[in-house]
Amino acid sequence: MRDLKHIHYYEELLAQTANGLVLEEKDEGGIAVGYTCYYLPEVLLNCGKAFSVRLRAPNTGSLDISQYYMSSFICGYTRAIFERAFEGGMNFLDFYASSDTCQQMVRVVENIRELSLISNPDFGWGIIDAPLKISPHGIKLYTDQIRDHILKPMSENYGVDISDEAIRAAVREHNEMCAVFEEITEMRKAENPGITPREFHILSLVSYACPTAKILPYLRESLEDLKEREPDPPGRWRARVVVVGSELDDYGFSEILENARCYAAADRYCFGSFPGRQQIHLTEEEPALDQVCRWYLETNQCPRFMSQEKIRERRETVKRLAEEYLADGVVIEQAKFCDFWGYERTLNTQVLAEEYGLPTLGIDREYVVRGSGQLATRIQAFVESLEYKKIKKGGGEL
Amino acid sequence: MKKGKADLLRKDTGILKHREWRGIRDTVYDYSQWCRLWGILIKWAASHPVQNVKAVMRYRWMFSYITVAAFFDRICMGQRGAGLRAARSNLNYLASDVTKTLTTIFSADMNLHPGSRKAEELNKKIICFDELLPAILGKGFPGCSTILFQEYPMYLPSLIHQHSPVHYIEQSELYGLPADVCPLPSFEAGLAIEDDFPKIGCCMVTSNMPCDGSIMTTMIQERRIGLPSVPLNVPLRWKEDEVQDYAVEEIKEAIAFMEKHTGRDFDWDALKEACSIWNAQNEAKFEKWDMNKTDMPPHTGSSAWLYRIFEHQAVCGEPAALRNDLKVNRILRRQVARGKCPKTIRHRAIIWNTPANNYANFNNWLLDCWGIDSVCEMIDIHGTDLIDTSSRESMLLGIAGMYQTSTMRAHTKGGSEVMLDDLWEKYEEYNADMIIMFDQISCKGVGAINGLFEEGAMHRGIPMCRVRQDLMDPSSITRREMRNDVNVFMLTVMKEEPLDASLVDFDDDKSW
Repeated sequence: MRDLKHIHYYEELLAQTANGLVLEEKDEGGIAVGYTCYYLPEVLLNCGKAFSVRLRAPNTGSLDISQYYMSSFICGYTRAIFERAFEGGMNFLDFYASSDTCQQMVRVVENIRELSLISNPDFGWGIIDAPLKISPHGIKLYTDQIRDHILKPMSENYGVDISDEAIRAAVREHNEMCAVFEEITEMRKAENPGITPREFHILSLVSYACPTAKILPYLRESLEDLKEREPDPPGRWRARVVVVGSELDDYGFSEILENARCYAAADRYCFGSFPGRQQIHLTEEEPALDQVCRWYLETNQCPRFMSQEKIRERRETVKRLAEEYLADGVVIEQAKFCDFWGYERTLNTQVLAEEYGLPTLGIDREYVVRGSGQLATRIQAFVESLEYKKIKKGGGEL
Repeated sequence: MKKGKADLLRKDTGILKHREWRGIRDTVYDYSQWCRLWGILIKWAASHPVQNVKAVMRYRWMFSYITVAAFFDRICMGQRGAGLRAARSNLNYLASDVTKTLTTIFSADMNLHPGSRKAEELNKKIICFDELLPAILGKGFPGCSTILFQEYPMYLPSLIHQHSPVHYIEQSELYGLPADVCPLPSFEAGLAIEDDFPKIGCCMVTSNMPCDGSIMTTMIQERRIGLPSVPLNVPLRWKEDEVQDYAVEEIKEAIAFMEKHTGRDFDWDALKEACSIWNAQNEAKFEKWDMNKTDMPPHTGSSAWLYRIFEHQAVCGEPAALRNDLKVNRILRRQVARGKCPKTIRHRAIIWNTPANNYANFNNWLLDCWGIDSVCEMIDIHGTDLIDTSSRESMLLGIAGMYQTSTMRAHTKGGSEVMLDDLWEKYEEYNADMIIMFDQISCKGVGAINGLFEEGAMHRGIPMCRVRQDLMDPSSITRREMRNDVNVFMLTVMKEEPLDASLVDFDDDKSW
C-alpha cells in the first residue's frame, strides 16, 4: 500500500513529548494538562482552554537518574516519564493530573513535586483517589475527586472554563474525533484491511498526545485517504490478534507484529482505542460532569478493579473483541514491573485459553520495544501456532 | 579470642547449642517462660491430637509452627530485665491466641474433615477476612469467629521459619507470576495455587490492603477458594476528609454482606465494647512509645513490632490482649522508674520501611552486634487514632480511619510526604542519632521514592544505613547479606568497632 496521508508528520509529532502541535496550542494560550491514566477522563482535561497531553517519553535511552531516585524495580514507563521530567522535557506542562491508582505512577508526580523538576512557575498538580469497583458511592467519590483535585485547580489557577456547557463542548469535540476512529476501527474488521496495525497505533497515539482540536483535521484527512486507498493483495496477514495489556506507547510493538505478518485487529491496552475512542452520549437531564465520570469509571478496563463482575467483564470484553474483529488469538502484553498486569497477564493467559477457547500469548516487555529480537521471536512463534491451528481446523495440510 | 553470642549458635543452622546465660534471675525467668510456651503447645497438641497431626501432614506451612520455640528464642536473644519480660509475655500471649485460632480453623476445615456436618455447621459461624484488614469489624458478630485468612498459613509462618515462603513463591513463579512482585502476595498466590489454604468459612471480606500486589493476588485466591466475597475498598489518600464518607459506605456494604451470609444481625453494642477495648490497647501502646523516648528505652526490638502488628490485626478489641498490655506496661514502668538500662546502647535508631519477615530478629542482632537500639519503628506505628464510640457513625468513621492507617498502609499510602515527613519527625521525637532504612527491593511504592529518602537524610546530616531485603524471600537476599550492609556502613561510614565481634559475620542460611 502507498503511505497513508500525514503518516510521516504523525511520526514526527510522536518523536517529541512537547511536539509541534502542543507548542502551537501553548502559544495560543492553551493550558497543557499532562496525564498518564484512563482514570483521568481525557475529555474533562480538554475543557475550555485546557488541552490534554497523554505523557510519553519517546526516544528514551538511559534511565540512570530515575534508577537512583526510583530504584531499578519500577516500570520503565514510569521511570522514563520521571527521567524526561528530570531532563527538562516536561517543562511545557502547566498541570499534571494524576491518580493514586498505581503506586508507581503516583510516585512520579510526587518526585516531580518534591524535587521541583518542572521549571514553570505556574506548574500545578492534582492527585485523585479512585474506587476499585463500581457502586453508587464509588461513582460519587470518583466524581468528587475529579471535581476537587483536577477541575477546581484548573479553573482557579488557570482560569479554565469548567462549566457544564464547557464540558459538553469538550464532549462534542471528543465525539467528533471518536467518530473518525469508529470508522477507521470498522475497517479493521475486513478480511483484507486497508489500514495496518502500525498505522492504527500511530493514529491512536497522536490522538492522545496532541491537542484534539489541532490533530482532528489531520485525522479526518487520513480517514478520507484510507477510504480511497487500495489495500494490499489478500494473503498478507497470517493471523489476526487482539492486543491486550498495559501502557504501550511505542508503535515499534505494532511493527514487530507487522513484521511477523500478524494483524492487530483490536487494541485493548492503555493508549489504545478500547476503551477511549468511543463516543460519549450525554443526556440533558443530568450534569455533564456526572455522566462523563460515570462513563469513564464504567468503561475502565484496568485490572485494578477487583470486584468479581469487573474481572469477568474484562475477560468477556476480550472475547467480544476477538469475535467482532475476527481474531484468531490474543496477545497479552505487560510492561515489566507492572504489578497489576503481572497478575492479570499470568491468570488471563490461562483463563482465556482454557475457559474462553482463545489461544493466548502472554509476554512481558520493556518500555521501549523497538528492535527487541526476543519479542519478535515469541510473536513469530505464536503466529505460527495460530496459523497451524487454522490450517488444521480447515482440514488442510501443512 | 573472647567468646561472643555467635558462639552459642551451631554453624549454618543458627540453632542454639544451649540456652543463653543472662545472669541468674533473667536466665531462670527466660527458662520458665520457655517451659510455659511448651505447656501452651502441648496443651494445644493434646486437645485435638488426630486433627492436628492431619493438619501437619496436609499443610506444608504447618511444619513452620513446630519450630516456634526456636523462633521465640531468637526474638528474645540478648534481652534482659523488663525488655525480656515484656517480650516473653507478648510472645506467650501470641502463642496462646494462635493455638486457639488454629483449633478453630482445623475443626472447621473441610480439607481435613471432608463431608463432615459438624465442620459444615462450624463454617456457618466463620467469617474470613483479608489478613491485612483488622478483625475489629467482626466483633459485631459475637456468635461468629473472624479469621484473618492468610495470617496463619502465610504471615506467621514467614516470620517463624525463613524458608517457609520459598516453596510457595516458586509455585507462583512456575504458574507464570513475575519474580519481581512482592513476596507477600506471591506467597499468598502460591498457597492458592497449591490449594494449601484451609477450606473454611461462610464468606470472605477481601480488600485492597495494603498495596497493588495485594489487590491482584486476591483475584487468584478468590478463584481457588470459591467463597462468596465482597471487596472492601479502603481509600488511599487517607489524609483527605473527602474520602471518609466513601470509606464508611464501604464498611456498611461489608456489614450488610456479612449479615446476609451469616444470617445474623450486626451487634452494635458488641462493636462498641470492642472499640473501647481497642482504644485502651492503643493507649497502652502510646505509653510504651513515651517510655521509649526516654534515655532507657525499655520496649524495643522485634517482639514489640511483631506483637503490635498481631494486636492491631488479629486481637484488636480482645480483653485478654488488653490484660497482657497492662501487665507489660507495669513491668516496663518499674524499670524506667528504677532508672536502670540493662543493655548497651551506642545508637538510638529509627527503623523505617517494612521489616524483613525472614529476619524478624534483625533488631536483636543490631543491638547485640553494634549497640544499635531500634527505639522507633515504622511498622510499629499504625491505627493510632482513638475510635469515637459515641454513635454508630462515629465508630464506623473510626474503624475506617484504622483501616486506612493499618499495617503497611499508614506510611506507604496517603502521599510520599506521609512517609518522609513522619520519619524526620520521629527522628527528633525519639532523640535518634541514625536511621536504618530497609530497602525492600520488591516494594515499588517505597522504592519509587528512594532518592527522596537519600537526599532528605543527606540534607539533614543524618546517618542513614540502607539495608537491602526482600520481605520474606531469603532466596533473594539472605540474612547474612542484610547484616553485611550494616557491617559495611558501621565500619566505613561510622568508623566503629562492633560490640560483639563474633556476630559480625556468621552463617545462618540454613536456620529456620
